[in-house]
Amino acid sequence: MIVITGASSGIGASVAQSCARLGAKVVLTGRDAVRLQTVSSSLPGSLHQTVVGDLLDGATLEAIINSEESFDGLVSCAGIASLVPMRMSSQGYLKGLLDVNYVAPMDLTRLMIQSKKLRHGSSLVYVSALSARAAPQAAGAYSASKAALEAAVRTIGLEHAKHRIRANCIAPGYVETPMLQKLSGTSNLTQKISLAPLGTLTPDDVAPAAVWLLSSASKWITRSTLTIDGGISLPIRS
Amino acid sequence: MTLTDSENGRIAARQTFGLNEKKILVTGASKGIGREVAIQCAAAGARLLVCGRDTSRLSDTFMSLEGHGHVAIECELTDERARQRLALECEQLDGIVHCAGIRGLSPMKMVSESFLLQVMQTNYVAPMMLTRHLLARGKVSTGASLVFMSSIAALTGTAGVGPYAGSKAALIGSVRPLALEVAKRGVRANVLCPGLVETTLITEDKTWFEESCKRYPLGIGQPGDIAHACLYFLSDASRKVTGCVFSMDGGVEFA
Repeated sequence: MIVITGASSGIGASVAQSCARLGAKVVLTGRDAVRLQTVSSSLPGSLHQTVVGDLLDGATLEAIINSEESFDGLVSCAGIASLVPMRMSSQGYLKGLLDVNYVAPMDLTRLMIQSKKLRHGSSLVYVSALSARAAPQAAGAYSASKAALEAAVRTIGLEHAKHRIRANCIAPGYVETPMLQKLSGTSNLTQKISLAPLGTLTPDDVAPAAVWLLSSASKWITRSTLTIDGGISLPIRS
Repeated sequence: MTLTDSENGRIAARQTFGLNEKKILVTGASKGIGREVAIQCAAAGARLLVCGRDTSRLSDTFMSLEGHGHVAIECELTDERARQRLALECEQLDGIVHCAGIRGLSPMKMVSESFLLQVMQTNYVAPMMLTRHLLARGKVSTGASLVFMSSIAALTGTAGVGPYAGSKAALIGSVRPLALEVAKRGVRANVLCPGLVETTLITEDKTWFEESCKRYPLGIGQPGDIAHACLYFLSDASRKVTGCVFSMDGGVEFA
């Protein structure tokens, strides 16, 4: 039983598809009821669940926790991005990104652990971003929120190793998703994206990594970050 | 790599992570990590070219491979002519896992030049030059995956492992330019940095070994843990992953 946040589109929807195809039962969460239902009904297998709501709302988190008796993993895909230079990033803006990209997944994780519903040997996978290390123009708030996520995930891995609970991040470069399309509308990212030596990435290029990190094939891997970026970060000093 | 025991799940996993008929070269295959990588690749459907120095142990690995069409070649990869011959004789490859390596332990203030050179030759020059000859002879297929075995030693400071750490860090340094150079043909190059794995390379010194184990929250690794990671990096599941330096170490806090 795997919880997947941000499952109504992009990477989350692709991860849901992969997990279900490989035989997992999934709890899908997202804000858009219609899209979430569309993803859910397209999945192979039955017994999947959906929880519609905002992860910043305690009631949504509670509904996720109460959806099942126990869980074997989490893939945290819900996130937001926008481009604003740091000199124009207000306190409210900075906090807004931190809330969604860092505080919400940590809060969900805390509740999963505190409720004791996370089984021995569970795997937690968080979608971070290459930006956490590349820190590109106008992405300061976004990059910082993902860097915060990566750091906290490493601590979680250390604190729960005694229960064989693993915690890892996947850091994708630019992936063709609705989130990226929204960003491209406000700036010219197309040229940047085409720089990836192995070409552009789709959500389906990211999902298998989440499955690998969820499965027992990665039972010794924790506190790590897997970068999936088609080589775009090769010239970047991290 | 399944998430359940269901038959459909297994078939789907095989589609995503399988190495169906891919031709994979594994060096250092006569024991330890290399041996297990070869065995797991064969089990995932690959055709193997296993390479090692010890005839009887290499043949032991060879006999353990599931399926048909595998080849074993005895080869001293630190020998320049042997590398060239291997590159000339081998088939077109879809993947290479460079596992051959030696322990290079010596305090830096006491290391001899000949020892430092020997460690660099085995752990750095041999895998890089073999790759170079294979590329030059057109033996690396479009979309192939190159996996280099570095070490946590390349990323952390531990007294006494200077020569080894330097040779493994050199791999990381060269893989990034290599990844850029081969990307045009969809070829990928990645580095794995395992922490302590239970092989004969490390179990010889028992006291040190037992002390080290305590620092690993998930315990020390098994060769199978590294082999499973290789399945991800060799399969099409990772087709957009290149230049990656990936740590796998049971969450070690400090090495």
